[in-house]
Amino acid sequence: MALEGNVHDASRALELGLATGLGAIGPGIGVGFIFGKTIEAVGRQPELRGQLQGLMWLGFALTEAIIFYALGMAFVAYAIA
Amino acid sequence: MILLKVDFNPVAEFTDFVHNPYVSLPLGLDINKAVIYLWLTAAVAIGVTLLIVRRGLKLRPDGSQTAVEVVYDMCQNQIARGGLPEEGMRIWFPYVATLFVFIWSMNLIGFIPLPFGERHVDVFGLSVPEFQIYAASANLSVTLALTLVTFFATHIEGIRYNGPVKYFKSWMPSGLPSPRPFGAKTPAVLILLGLIAVIEVLSQFVRIVSLSFRLFFNMLAGHLVIAVFLGLASLLGTYFILPIGIPMGVALYLLECTLIAGLQAFIFATLSAIYIGGAIHPDH
Repeated sequence: MALEGNVHDASRALELGLATGLGAIGPGIGVGFIFGKTIEAVGRQPELRGQLQGLMWLGFALTEAIIFYALGMAFVAYAIA
Repeated sequence: MILLKVDFNPVAEFTDFVHNPYVSLPLGLDINKAVIYLWLTAAVAIGVTLLIVRRGLKLRPDGSQTAVEVVYDMCQNQIARGGLPEEGMRIWFPYVATLFVFIWSMNLIGFIPLPFGERHVDVFGLSVPEFQIYAASANLSVTLALTLVTFFATHIEGIRYNGPVKYFKSWMPSGLPSPRPFGAKTPAVLILLGLIAVIEVLSQFVRIVSLSFRLFFNMLAGHLVIAVFLGLASLLGTYFILPIGIPMGVALYLLECTLIAGLQAFIFATLSAIYIGGAIHPDH
């Protein structure tokens, strides 16, 4: 079956959605791990809460940045395709 | 059905302003929306701090003085002391604290709707620009410039404190077998050392990308998602999506301006402090 309509724009839109969505899976799991482990650690040693929170936000931002690599490359591919 | 006729393109708000600056200058030094936002940010960040500090600090601080003291304390104890060694504090604590305050103000101003839109709307005969949310940090040039300052500061400080030979040698992880020119090194060890050296040099440049992209895409994606959810009815051409779109947009707006705006400024300043501190004392 031959594809009809604006296949070019449709594939660009699909690419943007797929790349961003697939790229968000890994960091999503990672961010969940970071918050979960911090909660565990605070539950075990509540007196370290302040230090752990600083580390938690640092780890959160470093992990979350990976989504933006996917998003950035998706935008680049969207722009040049 | 006026709403559905609006030609709404959220991405254009972040790209089109480059082509129609307010003042055109040579060498790409145009004064466009992002430049206006940067000036506004600098004025607000300096103005608010000066206003509170110059009004006279009291031993029993009132509300605004307490707020400034909390920010200062966080810059000193959480951001700077986490990464910078004691001898680097005098020079680089002001830089790191400035980064935090500047980026935070930049992100927060980005969440106030301001009349800098491209399209104009007639209000009682007056042509008023559209109100829109735009952050200077949702622009790769701005974040890349801030990142390059940190990058050059890192390596200049590293060379100044350690000398060029010791500093560049410290990029190699310690504990590796050192290559001796006439020793009994097998080629495999030499190849491995070369690969590690390449990776280490690359990782220094990947820092530029990760530091600038993190701030840029966080703000860009945040603004885009807010704009898309609030304008979902216009994008999809139906009113039935409004009960989902508007609450989602408001919720994301609150999340972004309370948490993400400050967090990204904190991360940028903390990582700058860690990079500069790591260059001053490579062993730690």
